Amino acid sequence: MFRRQFLAGGSAIGAATIAGCGSLESRAIDVPPVLDDPPDAIYVPGHVEGMDLVGTETTGEYTVGLSYSYPHRFWTITGNERERTSIDETDSVHLMATVWDPETGLVLPDVGVSIEITQDGSLVSQETVYAMLSQPMGVHHGGNFTGLSDGETYAVRVAVGATASRPTGTFTGRFDEPATATFEFTFETSAMQAIRFERLDRAGERDALEGMSMDAVPTGVALAPEAIPGRTATTMADDIRYVASLVDPPAGVDGQESYLAVSPRTRYNGYSLSRMGLSATLEDDETVTDGQLTRTIDPDLGYHYGTTVPAVDSAELSITVDTPPQVARHEGYETAFFDVPTAKLSL
Amino acid sequence: MQAMEARPGYDRRQFLKTAVAAGGTVALSACLEISDEQVPGGVGDPSSLPDRQHAWNDRVRSDEYGNVSLPRHQSLLYLALDRDGPPTDADRKVVGGALRTLDRAYERSNEGLIHSIAYSPAYFERFDEPLPASVDLPQPRRLSPFEEPQFDTQDALLHLASDRAEVILEAEAALQGEREQVNGVAVDVSITDALTVDDRRSGFVGPGMPADRQDVAGIPDTEPVPEAAPLFMGFEAGFRGNQATEDYVTIDSGPFAGGTTKHVSRLRQRLEDWYVEQDFEDRVTELFSPAHAAEGLVEGVGENLGSDSGLTPEMIENVREHAREFGRVGHAQKAARANRDEEGNVRLLRRHVESTDGDVAALHFPSLQQGISAFEEVRRAMNGTDLTDEPAIRQRVNNGILEYIFTTHRGNFLVPPRRHRVLPSPRPA
Repeated sequence: MFRRQFLAGGSAIGAATIAGCGSLESRAIDVPPVLDDPPDAIYVPGHVEGMDLVGTETTGEYTVGLSYSYPHRFWTITGNERERTSIDETDSVHLMATVWDPETGLVLPDVGVSIEITQDGSLVSQETVYAMLSQPMGVHHGGNFTGLSDGETYAVRVAVGATASRPTGTFTGRFDEPATATFEFTFETSAMQAIRFERLDRAGERDALEGMSMDAVPTGVALAPEAIPGRTATTMADDIRYVASLVDPPAGVDGQESYLAVSPRTRYNGYSLSRMGLSATLEDDETVTDGQLTRTIDPDLGYHYGTTVPAVDSAELSITVDTPPQVARHEGYETAFFDVPTAKLSL
Repeated sequence: MQAMEARPGYDRRQFLKTAVAAGGTVALSACLEISDEQVPGGVGDPSSLPDRQHAWNDRVRSDEYGNVSLPRHQSLLYLALDRDGPPTDADRKVVGGALRTLDRAYERSNEGLIHSIAYSPAYFERFDEPLPASVDLPQPRRLSPFEEPQFDTQDALLHLASDRAEVILEAEAALQGEREQVNGVAVDVSITDALTVDDRRSGFVGPGMPADRQDVAGIPDTEPVPEAAPLFMGFEAGFRGNQATEDYVTIDSGPFAGGTTKHVSRLRQRLEDWYVEQDFEDRVTELFSPAHAAEGLVEGVGENLGSDSGLTPEMIENVREHAREFGRVGHAQKAARANRDEEGNVRLLRRHVESTDGDVAALHFPSLQQGISAFEEVRRAMNGTDLTDEPAIRQRVNNGILEYIFTTHRGNFLVPPRRHRVLPSPRPA
């Protein structure tokens, strides 16, 4: 049977379904428009949406959490370009996968993720999904999916590809194999409509919504400065808070005497900012090091950008953003982290 | 199968487009009712045919630029030997007889039937002695840090190709003992007396065919595939200048001299974002290179390109600069980094075709090369993993066409020369 015939044949049922979920339709209309003139910064969006957990599963070296919410608009980022992905009327659901190390609970923001949806062995959808950042939902991979029907049960397979960040310390040699987690998901519009959806009257304020606490799934909050070993210092540049530290080189790094680790995170919620191009200049009386930092995942230092350096007693550090975080942005983050001034701090 | 009934007024092209995908005897009989053209016959003496089973290029159509046009209908039969251990003389008699029947029945051309049989590493493991070092044929393996394909480890792969759907179906029927004669030649044995068809995959390629068949999962409902495109992604491929020659991919020493190796993958295609999120320029960037888009080198489906894809050594060398400047890299420029030898010769001969098996858009991707390692090196270059330190280039996003293709199967095979095509031992005399 051809798919379009199938869709045509199902249209009567489809109409009934839509009639039965009028609140979903009206909800879609209720989504407040994107602010006309948002600040070039993190800001409070016009509404907040909750999410529901489908489940968690450990597969290979990864634990995967799968959640869902209403279809979202979001912005993809390529270099300094931002492109909006609007909600399509055929979108059924926004699926979110969070991937972390089961031993440390550290979110792995630099893996590749794709999601396949099947029903009784037949393909419903399959997409490569984007690394994303959301104020309530934190660091995850997500995308909108079409073609789900109310009350139907699907197999959702979340395929995790190797991490693109360098694993160091006891992570050395890990996260280099793909693995797939399979979830059973019953799509129910009534359950989705029960997910929190609220308009906010402080839209546009320079602040962020709190991260949603889901005990089962970490949100990708970076390590607190006091939890990072070595000689540390913090500073801010626009909406990026940096924690820099000088430590002994972790295992897996060909080393000089010392190692510089820079951990950027969002100003309000402290989410790890991944997939950036960062370079650093470290100077005492003369330039000690000057160059691009390597995206790295380490159990003690967390997700960071690092390089080996000679030992220094005290030094001035400048951090420059060469490429803003290449993660898709949910509302309230889409205008942030561009044109960030060079940050300076003393270590 | 009621849909396969030929009925008056039913457009022949509409009907034939589904026939090979559907397969089977009902499809065939319906097919034969509506197609009464004479199919050219084969040779009286099959040993008079050329030794290279993979020598197809001078037996199929070429366009005005010398680009080879592959036969429009194809089928891949994955075959399993019905016994443990090595094959017997009786098995060889069956397989040899069945293949000779096809040689006698059909002209070896796109008008008749082109076929080749190949054998897997698992097949050769049936024997005590290993393959000689002149044959580079590892077991299939994972070739990217994100794929988890199924491995095709059946014993043999029989590849059938013709411009005529009914020829593919009739040949398959004959191989399976469902015909007493085929194109006027008596059928004495069926290959299924020794081998079981474990899987059958169908394919097609050529202008108009993808557009006609785009009503499948993986292609957006806007019917975006251009009529002129030979492939679902909307562009020409397999330009003469970007393909290895048959000479180049031929094994040149050892008992299998005159043969070649064949890697066959199946890639599911998900072209919603390809056609809806990306515009024409984005697609040119991701399939060819950012320079192709910036300089407007590709028109339409690429009909202006002539005999090569327009990829220059400079574009191949500058892939990292492109990553930095454009935040994207092209599929062709990445893969080409490993697809040239020191003298600049292309190493792979790609013969990919589209598929709508199971009403899902997919690509069957046979590639011929002297040794499987060459394919593996090109695929790794295509992964662009080395470019992902540039943050805009993700594992699969902005990284050629990796976002849209999902590898579901991989298999490796040896295509022996004709003299050893019947269930060969690893060291045939």
